Amino acid sequence: MSIEVSGLNKKFGDFVALDDVNVTIPTGQLTALLGPSGGGKSTLLRIIAGLEKADTGTVDIEGVDATNLPAQKRNVGFVFQHYAVFKHMTVAKNVAFGLEIRKRPKDEIAHRVDELLKLVHLSQFAHRLPSQLSGGQRQRMALARALAVEPSVLLLDEPFGALDAKVRKELRDWLRRLHDDVHVTTVFVTHDQEEALEVADEIVVINEGRVEQVGTPDQLYDEPANDFVMSFLGEVTHLGGVSLRPHDIELEVAPSLAGSVEGTVSRLVRIGVEVRLTVLTVDGDAVSVVVTRAHARAQRLEEGSTVWLTPATGATVVPRMAAVV
Amino acid sequence: MADTLVHDVAESAPVPERRRPPRVRKTPTTYALRAIATVYLFLLVAWPVSLVVTNTFADGVGAITSLFEDPDMVVALQLSAYVAVWSVVINTLFGVGISLLLVRYEFPGKRLLNALLDLPLSVSPIVVGLALVLVYGGRNGWLGPTLAGWGLEVIFSTPGIIMATTFVALPLMIRELVPVLEEIGVEQEQAAQSLGASGFQRFWRITLPSIRWGIVYGVVLTLARSLGEFGAVKVVSGNVLGQTRTATLAVEEKYLNFDQQGAYATAFLLAMVSVACIVIVAIIRPKNHA
Repeated sequence: MSIEVSGLNKKFGDFVALDDVNVTIPTGQLTALLGPSGGGKSTLLRIIAGLEKADTGTVDIEGVDATNLPAQKRNVGFVFQHYAVFKHMTVAKNVAFGLEIRKRPKDEIAHRVDELLKLVHLSQFAHRLPSQLSGGQRQRMALARALAVEPSVLLLDEPFGALDAKVRKELRDWLRRLHDDVHVTTVFVTHDQEEALEVADEIVVINEGRVEQVGTPDQLYDEPANDFVMSFLGEVTHLGGVSLRPHDIELEVAPSLAGSVEGTVSRLVRIGVEVRLTVLTVDGDAVSVVVTRAHARAQRLEEGSTVWLTPATGATVVPRMAAVV
Repeated sequence: MADTLVHDVAESAPVPERRRPPRVRKTPTTYALRAIATVYLFLLVAWPVSLVVTNTFADGVGAITSLFEDPDMVVALQLSAYVAVWSVVINTLFGVGISLLLVRYEFPGKRLLNALLDLPLSVSPIVVGLALVLVYGGRNGWLGPTLAGWGLEVIFSTPGIIMATTFVALPLMIRELVPVLEEIGVEQEQAAQSLGASGFQRFWRITLPSIRWGIVYGVVLTLARSLGEFGAVKVVSGNVLGQTRTATLAVEEKYLNFDQQGAYATAFLLAMVSVACIVIVAIIRPKNHA
């Protein structure tokens, strides 16, 4: 196991950032720390890197107790949301920094920098200053810089958070491919569930300083441990006593299934191939339902139609928590 | 390692960070403000300074050359330069340290320290001089007799002049560096730390290069202020001809002795050093640095 965090507590004044966090992050995988802003995920990452000190608890990196090691001795690569480029150095010098600190021979450094710049497609920018690069290019440079020292773990703190949507998506795909090639144990922090589901091998959901659930994207999506995980990973609606996804509701215009709930369509919005409905049930719930356009057309759905709703077979359902209602 | 990028991420290069401000349409107000600023600067700065220049060269370059023929004057100029260099060195070392302390660390009494640092700007230099005499005065000072016992004379001697000058110029470096340090933040240093850099390596390779233009400006301002210091130095130096008389004291002396030509020439020299510093920095400074 590559990173083992146990009993971690961290307070900033009165604010509890981490509350008895225990996580094991497997070697060679791409793990996402997912959660809402202020949930403590960045703090956890910074404690693993040694940039922040925990109040109590221990951090093991590759079997070595790193709890009291200063950041410069942990051999972790860290990538910041706002790049943290060395503004006064060229791109090549930025990437070479860690190797120069380690006093590697000059030709070895030059060779390695060359290789890394090729990897992140910045070879032609080697002699530019970071200020002459775009945001995405700067972040790729920061990644190359972190990889240069062959870190035992690579930590990324909201790496694509400062980039615009299109670049973010491209870099996200690229990070996944890069990881498939380089295989360094990677942990990245994100508040974007789509990003986590798409890129990560494993996801750690963190909320209010606690770990809510750890699992693969499929496990989290299909078997959420609680209402919070379920609602954070995708849209959720409530039908009867359970929470479930709007597309996991069976909708009919005549009652044929046992346990179906009657309701009236109060709102109907078409978005591309799907149709989103709001159904007011006789129980007094406002339920969101998503059906395909073909389905809606076949059943002649319109606002005011009377429909019957049933959770689809095999749907992910979680007992409804009073607090979330 | 294989090439993992299937296609290069398409993204336009950033526009240059510093652009000219958009041109504002000129209104009567624009012209009025311009006229006021010009007249103000002319009456207060440009005209008086230009008169120093014209008076200096009223009889050709003779006034300047005769300065360098007077051995006492040469000593005064040397002393001024010597004192200014020490003041710059001391204020740079302490300025960088104190600025880092103020920006990077929280500690009790930080606000008090911050306020104290502005004191040299707000109190009259004469007060500074008198205060130093009270502490270091050879006969009646608080610490002075002890130091004199060790053979170290502070007041009426070069160390006193350096102390007074350093005190007066103290805030200039710090006020230049604090905003620069605040702007660069700590992320670059944290990145360097995670790449294995020790505290000294981070300071030497990241912090220092990032604040170098702040330091250059601080040095220029400190140098200019130190060369021009008069009040505090007058109190502590004793104004001994050929020993503890600085260039500014010589200007006063010459002026009071009706050697106006010599006073103007010395004043001109002092002003030129400061102007030269500022011009040199303006020329060598890269365009993309604020």
